[in-house]
Amino acid sequence: MTNDTMNRRAFLQRTGAAGAALAASTAVPAFASAGQPVESMSVLTANASFDPVRPEMGRLITQAAKGIGWDIKLAAEDYNLGIGKVFKEQDFDMFIVRWTGRANRIDPETFIRMQHHKDGAYNKWGYDNARINELSDAQQVAMVAEERQALVHEAQALLHEDAVRSPIVYPSMTNAYREDRLEGVVPMLGEGIGSFWTDINVSVKHGDGYVRTGQTSPLKNLNPVSATDSNEFKELRMIYDRLAQVDPTGKVVPWAATAINIVDDTTVDIVLRDGMKFHDGMPVTIDDVIFSFDYCTKWKAPFFISSLEKFESVSKTGANSLRIKLSAPHAPLMINFFCSFFILPQHIWKDIPEKAGIDDVLNFANENPIGSGPFKFDYWDRGKELKVSANMDHFSPPKCAGIIRVTYGSHDAMAAAIEAGECDRTRYILKPALVQDLNKINGVVGAGYASHGFYDLGYNVRRGPLADKAFRKAMDMIIPRDVIRDVIMSGYAENGGSVIAPANKFWHNSAVKSRPTNVKAARDVLAAAGYSWNDDGKLLYPG
Amino acid sequence: MLDYILRRFVYTLITIFAVATILFIIFRMLPGEPTMQVISPAMDPAVQERMREAFGLNEPVWKQYMIYMKNLATLEWGRSFVSAQEVTDILGHRFWNTILLMAAGMCMTLVLGIGMGIIMAWRRNGPVDLIGTVVGLIFQAAPPFITGLLLLMVLSYRLGMFPTGGMYAPGARPDGVLDLLMTADFWHRLVLPTLTVGMYYISTPMLIMRDSMLEVLGSDYIELARAKGLKSRVIMMRHAARNALLGVVTISGIMIGFAVGGQVVVESLFSWPGMGQLMVESAAQHDYPVAQGTFLMLAILVISLNFLTDVLYSYLDPRIKITAKGLS
Repeated sequence: MTNDTMNRRAFLQRTGAAGAALAASTAVPAFASAGQPVESMSVLTANASFDPVRPEMGRLITQAAKGIGWDIKLAAEDYNLGIGKVFKEQDFDMFIVRWTGRANRIDPETFIRMQHHKDGAYNKWGYDNARINELSDAQQVAMVAEERQALVHEAQALLHEDAVRSPIVYPSMTNAYREDRLEGVVPMLGEGIGSFWTDINVSVKHGDGYVRTGQTSPLKNLNPVSATDSNEFKELRMIYDRLAQVDPTGKVVPWAATAINIVDDTTVDIVLRDGMKFHDGMPVTIDDVIFSFDYCTKWKAPFFISSLEKFESVSKTGANSLRIKLSAPHAPLMINFFCSFFILPQHIWKDIPEKAGIDDVLNFANENPIGSGPFKFDYWDRGKELKVSANMDHFSPPKCAGIIRVTYGSHDAMAAAIEAGECDRTRYILKPALVQDLNKINGVVGAGYASHGFYDLGYNVRRGPLADKAFRKAMDMIIPRDVIRDVIMSGYAENGGSVIAPANKFWHNSAVKSRPTNVKAARDVLAAAGYSWNDDGKLLYPG
Repeated sequence: MLDYILRRFVYTLITIFAVATILFIIFRMLPGEPTMQVISPAMDPAVQERMREAFGLNEPVWKQYMIYMKNLATLEWGRSFVSAQEVTDILGHRFWNTILLMAAGMCMTLVLGIGMGIIMAWRRNGPVDLIGTVVGLIFQAAPPFITGLLLLMVLSYRLGMFPTGGMYAPGARPDGVLDLLMTADFWHRLVLPTLTVGMYYISTPMLIMRDSMLEVLGSDYIELARAKGLKSRVIMMRHAARNALLGVVTISGIMIGFAVGGQVVVESLFSWPGMGQLMVESAAQHDYPVAQGTFLMLAILVISLNFLTDVLYSYLDPRIKITAKGLS
């Protein structure tokens, strides 16, 4: 048996082991090219106008790949085009994306099952590992948190070992606010000071009492049935109450419901708070909650329908209580549904869309939203600003007079407005370099706040060398994470390792560490896997 | 004359029809799907189909086109895929924001540009002419994001003389356009974007006016006016400038039309919610109804301004008459 044969066999075994269940076809290109130079590939990212950070990361990674003799190119494209290539067509080699730290992503469902189960909605990498499939299915129905945690920890370790993707860095939520104007900002995991908890706890030291909150993307929609974008949820949750909320540390806490009791794996009892009123003075009743479930089911509310479809029945059990029977246990329901779902006033929505003269509620603009939340809608000047005022009749009344959400044309314009005292705080991310600059100004705090989101280099494991676990591991080892963290992210980040960030303390597996950058070690991994280099230093397939 | 206007009106309708068709095709040729913008690709395919149904995107393209043309004719421009608001409402709102910005910018451009052009031609090869030409060309060569940013950095960020952007102070929304125009804050906020727009466009009317004036000043009738002993100011303004204006009028119609839709950078820089911003947002979001409406509105504006330019020609130059066959 020659060395070549052995190498080929070793490679065959390794690619097979990368997931017993990696589709057989994914390994074929590697063998077809045995002994040949590894083909050039590309790293797809959003362009700098969408996110200045991503192309910079991509450039560093393409540069670093030269260290292992692999030629890769950067393809910085329009964000939506890139998303289409990855999610619709799966036409990509590698893809840099930012998974933002939305509240619903604190639950491990998104980062474990949706992204790695063979049928996961976000699994566009072609990854298929039997054990991961089992673990992600099991965690979804594990209603006891500690049991679920153990499954999630095991999945993280296995995903890291498989190097199915490379979390690059865990970026902080880089925010800024005027401390000479505001008092009582409450940073929240994944949302920083743009959080709901800041909205209701912040007070204004002087002036009209309104918190002028800046964001660079315009508000798109105020329809709580059709909204799918986190930007809209951030504004809608001020106007509409939800049954529960995610607290600043990521735990679920009661809100409009005083209790959400898991009776058994498929039964949930909900008790609604007494004395709540909608902004038009009408009482909030348990019938409104049941109506909201039915209404969103009937109209297939895009964000909620997958959870609502798990409801077998909803029955009123008392003047202020109801029982939900699920068709199967579903652990993510608490954060993904109860902390997101908006209570609609039945007396208004029962006539929509007919009364609005349209045939589909998804086409309803909801120009004058009436909810029961801590803020009442004042006006929305499209493209410019949204103004809401404190609802002092709410069970948790805000400490400020209201919130004015102002749309700025760019990060620089928003930073300038904060510096000039025209804007009090940022709602979402501000470029790290600007945060650093703002922090030097008297009366302004620029800081990074913990987040469970991450920047990620995803591999299309159907293609060429990316089907090989050893190859992906080597790639993971050449990513210059320290440089990315310190230079590109201006220090507002941590090096990436597991797909569940350390900030998400309960679910993160602390045994999963970031691989240190080490090009020599990466070459050793490749050599051990049978790869070699030609005289020009180009990487060759095993064989 | 009426016959000519009617004929032009028909041509205008045909042009608008052609533009509307081209827009329909262009937006559907864009790579990527509109539903990607409003619904996560991670969601159930049935939900995505549901969104397509709601937007009418499940229909065959020819049927979408028929509905689109019918809606166009009945001024029912549909609803935004993103906000569900009526396109006409969105356009009406943003259009006036841009018009306010452009009216100020164009007033500055035309008044100063024409004035400077007259003076430069009258004092040909003098220091005013030389400096005016050089400065005008520098302004034209400098893109608005440079001049705007410099103005912001110096006059707003450093000296604090002007607000950083927006049409009014946060929370101080006026009740309508008239109310807005009555507030000093609005005019204060208008200064920097107006200067940015004005500086970018000023060289066009200024240099055209200068060249036209030079041509006119060499004419026999100007010599005759001088020989009659008319005052220089009268010759310059009444005899030379009026005739030299024709070139500026021609270019102004087109310039204003493009300026209305072309202020993406200025609007972004000064957080001004106008048509330029809307155009970029809606195209990027594949919000077909809004994107088509925005571009179509701009096309209608340019076509209308061209028509008005033709009519103005006959007023400014009595030698030109509108006949049934057109301008003669």
